[in-house]
Amino acid sequence: MKKPLFPILAIAISCMGALPISAQQPPAPPQGNAETIRESGQQYKQGNPLTSAADNTLIGRSGMGASNLALQKSILNSKINTFIAFFNNPLAGTQFEQFLNAPAETSEAAQEYRKNMTKIMELLAPPASKANQDAAYLLLPKASEFESDADICTTIHDAVYAAANSRVQIQKLTEINEELEKKRSIAEHNNLLASRDMPLSDVPTGKSDKNNDANQQIERQARMEPTKRALASISQTIEHNKMQIAVAEGQGKFQFQALILQLFVQRRYQHVIIANRFYRALFDDGDQSLESFQQMADKLGYNKQAGQAKLVAEGNPNIAGAVGSGGGRPGAGASSGSNGPGASVGSDYNGGGEGSAFSLSGMQMGIQNLSVESLMNAVSSGMKTASRTFKSLSQIDGIANEIIRDVNEGVKSYKYLISQNEIESATAQLVSVWTKGQYLPSVQLIPLEEKRKSLKFAQLVNKLVNASQSGNIDTLASSVAEMKKEAADFDDTEIVANIQSVKLGSSMHVAQARVAASKGDLQTVQTEITRAAGIWPNNPEIQSFSTDMTKVSEKADPRVQALADFDQLYSQKNYRAIFEGIDRFGVAVAADDSGLAESRKAKLKEVRARMQEVETAIMKAQEVDRRGDHAGAWEGLEIAFAQYPDDPKLSQMRADLTTQSPDFVRDIRQAKSLEERKEYGSALAWYLRAQARYPLSDLAKQGVQRVVKQILPDTN
Amino acid sequence: MARHKKSRGIPPLLIVLLVVVLGAVGYFTLRQGGSESSLRTVEELDPTLYYDNANSLRGNTYKIDVEIDSSLGNSPSKGRLFSVTLKKSGSNGSPVVIPVLIPTSMGNLTIQKGQHYVMKVKVIENGLLKVEEASKP
Repeated sequence: MKKPLFPILAIAISCMGALPISAQQPPAPPQGNAETIRESGQQYKQGNPLTSAADNTLIGRSGMGASNLALQKSILNSKINTFIAFFNNPLAGTQFEQFLNAPAETSEAAQEYRKNMTKIMELLAPPASKANQDAAYLLLPKASEFESDADICTTIHDAVYAAANSRVQIQKLTEINEELEKKRSIAEHNNLLASRDMPLSDVPTGKSDKNNDANQQIERQARMEPTKRALASISQTIEHNKMQIAVAEGQGKFQFQALILQLFVQRRYQHVIIANRFYRALFDDGDQSLESFQQMADKLGYNKQAGQAKLVAEGNPNIAGAVGSGGGRPGAGASSGSNGPGASVGSDYNGGGEGSAFSLSGMQMGIQNLSVESLMNAVSSGMKTASRTFKSLSQIDGIANEIIRDVNEGVKSYKYLISQNEIESATAQLVSVWTKGQYLPSVQLIPLEEKRKSLKFAQLVNKLVNASQSGNIDTLASSVAEMKKEAADFDDTEIVANIQSVKLGSSMHVAQARVAASKGDLQTVQTEITRAAGIWPNNPEIQSFSTDMTKVSEKADPRVQALADFDQLYSQKNYRAIFEGIDRFGVAVAADDSGLAESRKAKLKEVRARMQEVETAIMKAQEVDRRGDHAGAWEGLEIAFAQYPDDPKLSQMRADLTTQSPDFVRDIRQAKSLEERKEYGSALAWYLRAQARYPLSDLAKQGVQRVVKQILPDTN
Repeated sequence: MARHKKSRGIPPLLIVLLVVVLGAVGYFTLRQGGSESSLRTVEELDPTLYYDNANSLRGNTYKIDVEIDSSLGNSPSKGRLFSVTLKKSGSNGSPVVIPVLIPTSMGNLTIQKGQHYVMKVKVIENGLLKVEEASKP
C-alpha cells in the first residue's frame, strides 16, 4: 500500500526540527455547546428584558472554557498526553489507526519481500564483491514488486543505474582526456620545434642584420601559429572534459545522497542501508561526505512570501543525535522519555571506530499553511537542516541501524506490556515504534489481535479527548471509567478529581442562582444558570432548578395560582379559606381544562355544601344566642362541630358560647366522657342533669336515649 | 265525816273497746313505723358525691327521698328505669335529677309521675342506682 508522501515528509521534517513548532492553542469551544448555552440563555430570557442571548453565550462560553481548560489541562498533564496530541493529528492519527486495523504482514508476498530485502542487505554487506553487488542490483526490481515497498527498490535500482551510467561517462571522458594529453604532448613538441630559429642564406650583415632578425621573428611566429592553435584547442578540450567529469560525478553523488536522505526521512531505514551500500560500491573514491548535497541544498530557493508549512504539535517533537568516534568499541545509546529524548555516545580513543546515536519522539503534529510553495519551502528547509545534521553517509547508515534496533526492542517491550494488560504503556510503546519504524518488519508483523487492544485504547483516548473538548462532563466521566476498565494502568486520579471539581463548580452556580431567585434577582439567576450550564450542561440540578423556575413563573398566572391554592387548601382541609375565596376558586375551577378539572369541581361542590351547613349552624346559633339561649346556641354549634370539627369560625364561636353556659356544657361533656368510658349509670345521671338544666337540649335527650339503650337493651 | 261517795266504775265494755282501739292503733303504728324504721339507719345519698365519682360509691346503699319524674325505659328482664328528682335541692338550689332502676322483683310497685317515694337504693355497676325498697312516706 502506498502512503502519501507529504504527510510522511512533514512528519519527518518536523522530527528533524526543520519546521517551526508552535504550541497547540487551547481549542475554541465547540459550536455545539455554544448552541446549547444559547438555548439555555433563551430559555431564561423569555418574558424578561434581561441580557441578550449573545451575552448568555459569552457567559456560558466563559464557564465552559474555564471548566474545559481545567479538564484539558488535567488530561494533557496525564500520561496519555502523547496519545491525545498524536490522535488529534489528522494525518498521523489516521495513519496510525490504519496501522492498528491492518492485519500482520504475513502473506506469502510479504515474506518473499522481507526475504529479498534481507538477501539484498546481505549481498551488499561489506566487503561486497562485484558479483554480489550485481546480484543485489538484480534483486531490487523483484523486491519492488511488493506493494508496501512503494517502488522504492525500483527507485534505488534506477538511481544505481543512473550513477553507473555517469561512471561510464566519466570513464569515457577520462580516456578521451588521456588521448588528448598525448596529443597535447605532440602539439607541445611541434610547437617547440616550430619555435627554433633556422639560418637564412644570403643574408647581409650590419644594418641588414637588424632587418634580418625581424624577419626571422615574423617567420617564427608564422611557423608556431598552427601548433599553438592546436595546443590551445587540445588543452581547452581537456579542461572541458574535466569539468564534465566533475559535474557528472557531483551530480551523481548529489542525486544518490538526496535519495538516501529522502529514504531516511521516509523512515525507510532498510532502503537507506541498501542505498548507502550501493553508494559506497559506486563511488569508491572514499569520499562519503555530504558536502555536495550540502552545497546543493544551500542553493535551494526559499519563497518568503509563501511562508512555511507549520506543524502544530501538542507535545515537544524532539530529536537527539550524537556522533562519537574513537576506539574499537564505540557505544551509542538513545532513549526517549516523557521529558524528551536523549542520546549519548560512548567513545574509546584507543582505536578507530565510530558510534552514532539517534532518538526521536513526540510525533504529535498537524499541518498549517499547507500549499505547494510552503511545502517546497519545507522541503528546502528540511534538506538544509538534514545536510547540517548529517555530515556523512556513514552517520546516516549508523543511525538507521540504531533505529532498526531500537524499534525491534520497542516491539518486544510492547508485546510484554500487552501480555501484562498494561494497555496504556503498551500503546505508548506502540506509538513510539510506529512513528520510528512504521515500515520495519518487526512492526509490520505485530498481530492484529494485539494491535486491536491498542486500537480500543486509542478509540477511548479519542473519545476522552472529544468529551473533554465538548464540555460534556458525563460523557467524559463515562469515558474515563471505560478507560480505567480497559487499561488497568490508566491513572485517572487527576481527571476524576477535576471532573468532580467541575461538577461542584456547576452546582455552586446553581446554588447561587437559587439564592438570587429567593431575592428576586432574575439577572443574577440567568447569569449563574448560564454559567452552570456552560460548565456542566447535563447537571440535574439545572433541570430541577428549571422546573422550580417554571413553577414560580406559573404562579404569576392568577388562574393557575388559584387552582394551586385550591389544591393546597383542600389538602389542608382548610375549607373555610376556600369558602372565603369561593368566587376566585369558582372561576378558576370552572375554567380549568386540565386533567384534574372534574376532581376539582367535585371537591368545590363538596366544600360548598359543607360550608353551607356550617354557616347555617352558625347563623342559627347566633340567632338563638341573641335570644339569650346560650345553651341552645352552644348545643346547635356542638352538633355542627361534631360533623365539621376543622372549621375555625365554628370552633371559635363554640368556644365563645362555652363560657356563656358553662354548667350545661360541663354536664354534656361529662356525660359524654362517662358514656365513652361505658359508665352508663353515671352518664345517664349527667345527661339527666343537663336535661334538667336545659330541657330542650337535643344532646341530652339523645344521650339519655343512647344510654338507656345500653342499660336496658331490651327496653320497649 | 268523810262521806263515801259511791263511785261509779268504768264499764267493762268500754274498757274492752278501748283496749281494742288501742291495740288496733298500736298495730297500725307498728306496721307503719316498721318500714320507716328499716330506712332509719340508712345514710342519705349525697348527690355531689354521686355525680363526682359514682364508682367510688359502688356497693353502698343509700336512702333517697324522691319524686317520680318520668319513665326512661322498661325492660322485662331488668326492670323499669325512672328519672327521679330529689326532694332536697342541690347546693345551688338547682333540682337534682337522677336515674333509678326498679328491678322486676318490685314489679308490683305502682309508680307514676309525681309520686313521692322514699327509696333505699344501692349503687351498682356503671354508677346506676338500683332500688331495693320503696315506700311512700
